[in-house]
Amino acid sequence: MSKKMKKGASIIRWMLSRTIDETLLEEFLGDLHEMYEERLSKGKFYAQFMRWIDAFHLMFGFLSIGPFRTQNTTFIMFRSMFKIAWRNALRQKQFTVLNILGLTFGVGTCILIGLYVHDELTYDTFHKKADRIYRVNQPNIWGDWNQLSSSTGPNVATALREDVPEFEQVTRLLSLGSQTVAIGLNAEHSTAFKETKFYAAEENFFDVFSFDFLVGNPETVFLESMNMVLTLETAYKYFGEDVFPENVLGRTVELKDYDGSWKTYTVKGIVSDVPHKSHIQFDVLVSLKSQSEMMQMHGWKWIWTAFSTYGLVKEGTNISRVEENIQVLPPKWAPPTTERIFNQSFEEFTNGHPWKLDLQPLSEIYSSGSPSVHSFGPTGNPQFVKIFGAIGILVLLLSAINFMNLSTARSANRAKEVGIRKVLGSERKALWYQFILESILFVLTSTLLAFFIVHGSIDAFNSLADKNISLLPHLNNPMFYGIVLLFIILLGLLAGSYPAFYLSAFKPIETLKGKLSIGFNGKGLRNGLVVFQFTISIALIICTFFVQKQLSYASAMDVGFARNNILQLHNIEQFGFDTEVLKTKLESNPAFTNVGKSFGLPPNIWSGDRYKAKGGDHVVQLSNVRTEEDYLDLLELEFLAGRNFDPSRPNDKYKVVLNETAVKTLGWGEKGSFDIDSPIGKIVKLASGDEDEFEVIGVVKDFNFNSVKREIRPLVIIHHFNDKVWDYGAGLSYYSMRLDQNTITNSSELLSLLADLEGEIAEIDSTVPFEYSFMDQEFENTFRSEQRMGTVLNLFTFMAIVIACLGLFGLAAFTAEQRTKELGIRKVLGANASEIVWIFSSEFTKLILISILIATPITYYLVDQWLNGFAYRTPIDLWVFAAAAFSALMIAIITIGYQSISTANKNPVLSLKDE
Amino acid sequence: MKNKGLGEFEELILLAVCILDGSAYGISVKKEVEKHSGRSILLGAVHITLYRLQDKGFLKSKLGGNSEKRGDRRKRLFSITETGMQQLQAAQDVRQKMWQFIPQLKQ
Repeated sequence: MSKKMKKGASIIRWMLSRTIDETLLEEFLGDLHEMYEERLSKGKFYAQFMRWIDAFHLMFGFLSIGPFRTQNTTFIMFRSMFKIAWRNALRQKQFTVLNILGLTFGVGTCILIGLYVHDELTYDTFHKKADRIYRVNQPNIWGDWNQLSSSTGPNVATALREDVPEFEQVTRLLSLGSQTVAIGLNAEHSTAFKETKFYAAEENFFDVFSFDFLVGNPETVFLESMNMVLTLETAYKYFGEDVFPENVLGRTVELKDYDGSWKTYTVKGIVSDVPHKSHIQFDVLVSLKSQSEMMQMHGWKWIWTAFSTYGLVKEGTNISRVEENIQVLPPKWAPPTTERIFNQSFEEFTNGHPWKLDLQPLSEIYSSGSPSVHSFGPTGNPQFVKIFGAIGILVLLLSAINFMNLSTARSANRAKEVGIRKVLGSERKALWYQFILESILFVLTSTLLAFFIVHGSIDAFNSLADKNISLLPHLNNPMFYGIVLLFIILLGLLAGSYPAFYLSAFKPIETLKGKLSIGFNGKGLRNGLVVFQFTISIALIICTFFVQKQLSYASAMDVGFARNNILQLHNIEQFGFDTEVLKTKLESNPAFTNVGKSFGLPPNIWSGDRYKAKGGDHVVQLSNVRTEEDYLDLLELEFLAGRNFDPSRPNDKYKVVLNETAVKTLGWGEKGSFDIDSPIGKIVKLASGDEDEFEVIGVVKDFNFNSVKREIRPLVIIHHFNDKVWDYGAGLSYYSMRLDQNTITNSSELLSLLADLEGEIAEIDSTVPFEYSFMDQEFENTFRSEQRMGTVLNLFTFMAIVIACLGLFGLAAFTAEQRTKELGIRKVLGANASEIVWIFSSEFTKLILISILIATPITYYLVDQWLNGFAYRTPIDLWVFAAAAFSALMIAIITIGYQSISTANKNPVLSLKDE
Repeated sequence: MKNKGLGEFEELILLAVCILDGSAYGISVKKEVEKHSGRSILLGAVHITLYRLQDKGFLKSKLGGNSEKRGDRRKRLFSITETGMQQLQAAQDVRQKMWQFIPQLKQ
């Protein structure tokens, strides 16, 4: 802190010592120092800011009055350069405004993107030991071994602790999914809450992660079982807004167990709310020791892959060496587990795939967005970051080009100035400095303006992009100023170097003779730059078109079943396993045409297991869902072969229905071959444990039980009364109801229906939270982040187009000025207004057409690459290119339209008369 | 020299230097003026005026009084000169005279 203060002070000392008389320096610096110390009480930022203001004031004050005027020639030169820059800016107001606007938009967009990217890349950095924390990932042993999973079995941590001394701490975090919590269960007024950000943590959790404790001792809080840590917000929710955190310590909270009994936890700590830039987002933490029963019971030490394992390495550890060394752990420790559970040796279980343990740095967990298997918390999308970063640079380039174009275009106006300066003995270097300084001043002004605009519009951007970005915290960071300064100088050099080079090269004799005023060179390059600008703009237009097209294509896609008008009730598992009473009640409601229970809802069916066809030994991974015949009816699934479960046949509950892909995966042929070799009656069996066998009674047409971003995977539909499956009775379950369109015709009827349902649920069991969803909305939600990004992309594309148009407008205005006489003569000789408009705009239209020709193949390639990442992709229609090209052309014509029409309608007498 | 009258701000600064009697330097003058006039002024303005007044011969100054608080730098202590006092007095006299002729205040 003091270092930074000294830095600011030393810059000021330097600045004043260069500009102010020595005899005055001592007292001024003394005064500044004294005032700074006094102002510190009002805040450091304020004090620093005011010191700068005072320093500048002193400097300028003592430079402007006679006897104190410095004899420092550098300063005098700078002042004269400033003066010339200012006069030039005032003289050509239109160009100045266009330049400033273009640069402001460009820089503003760039700042916004910069803040966004910075925000995306600095998740989880608030932990004090963040740079030493790694998450252990391993292959997805329940599915595709080539895919990484972000969770491991519980004993990966114990093995690391045992065998790898490089780890200072290893801690496990277990997501407990959704839990029901009650306060004051035995008192008269009990309240139940549903918590979804609920984790079990180990005693060393807070040694590794730095969450901010308000009360309680982070070192001891999880040493015992049945302890609980709440965030402040959650504590307020449970115990009232007016409770003091210290009064919450020792209070008890009841947690509903999977069997419906209640367990009592004691609150031992309150942390301030979890920063939004954390991939671990919790509301409630309990000690992992409380789960010891479950951990003992399964004993699936290496294959119960529900744990996130984090390691804190010692300082100075060579992480790649550690990563190499830990690869021996699975073959050493896992065999007893695979033998006990699957009756398979380690080699048989892994089937030749390496059981690789991968160390992922904490800072990359969010930003890489992978591995997605079993991950929790917010995830970033590296693709968006890359795309936005590229757009930021492009937009900046566009605005720099604008500046170059406009500066060289108006060079004719400054040719005389350059000539006279040269005649009077100015070196080329001095001219060069002049133009670079002007460019830097433009960039500086625009950057300041851009900061104001960004600050003013950041809230709108946040709501658009669903982010939580703020400019203000950066203002306290000296690095930030350094970067901004560097940015201004670099951009100033980039934008100013060509004009400086070009303008300072004028030959004085020619310019003074007036030779340069028409037909000066540099036009070719300018046209090239316009083409470049419009190529980028058109490419962006085409890309946004396709992004929107793909999004609407995917969200409107046929998912293979009727997903509209399905209301879904959650938390049904809390009514116990037999819910027929509730079902009868729901069925009697006239608003519903179908009612069905399921242990999972599209698009979020994630469970699965390892299966094989009877008679074969090829093990395959199939998704599964437990449900009943009524649910399949409700979804209106189409049966390609066989039939649905039949309640009148009691044995049906041990049979299964497959989807088309599952039949194919099991090697039983495809849709066309069902007539010859029917899959009905064949046996699929589990590839682990007792190898339970299930007979296939039906095959349904493929439907998207996951987001349409994924290919349809093989699915086994198991009857929910099948008590042979190992997780019988466990898991979250739901009732889905199809709404009767004739009964529920408007939203108020829907609202009253929901109110009735809530009452009915409360009547049966008031501790079950009432929660519902609509299936079509859930499908929509799977595209939420893409849709957000689509909107943001539109915004940036718009900015790019605006910038390109500003440049074009400026050039058109300039050309109009240059060609006034030519067009005047044409008019006198009989050309009519429409011909003039044609002549004038064709010059620019040509450029746009060239841009279209360049942009089309490039974007075709890019769009094709992007679409390859989707399971279902919209076709690359040529009409999109045509539409984009047409709209770009229209935008360009409208931009230059004003200039061309006003030029065409000018009275030729006026344009020819002057001189 | 005689026609070089005092500006309003100059007068305030001169008065402040008089009040401070020997301990007048940039910051103390600034504070004194702020205290009495109720407006906030920038340090630079004070210094510029102090030096201008010194130029006109109304103030004289010497260096002295370094302290820890100032990073061991001396301050320039200003005091009023004979001419300065006369000017101030003359300005006050003019005002006093004119006040007497304001009819609204005559009742």
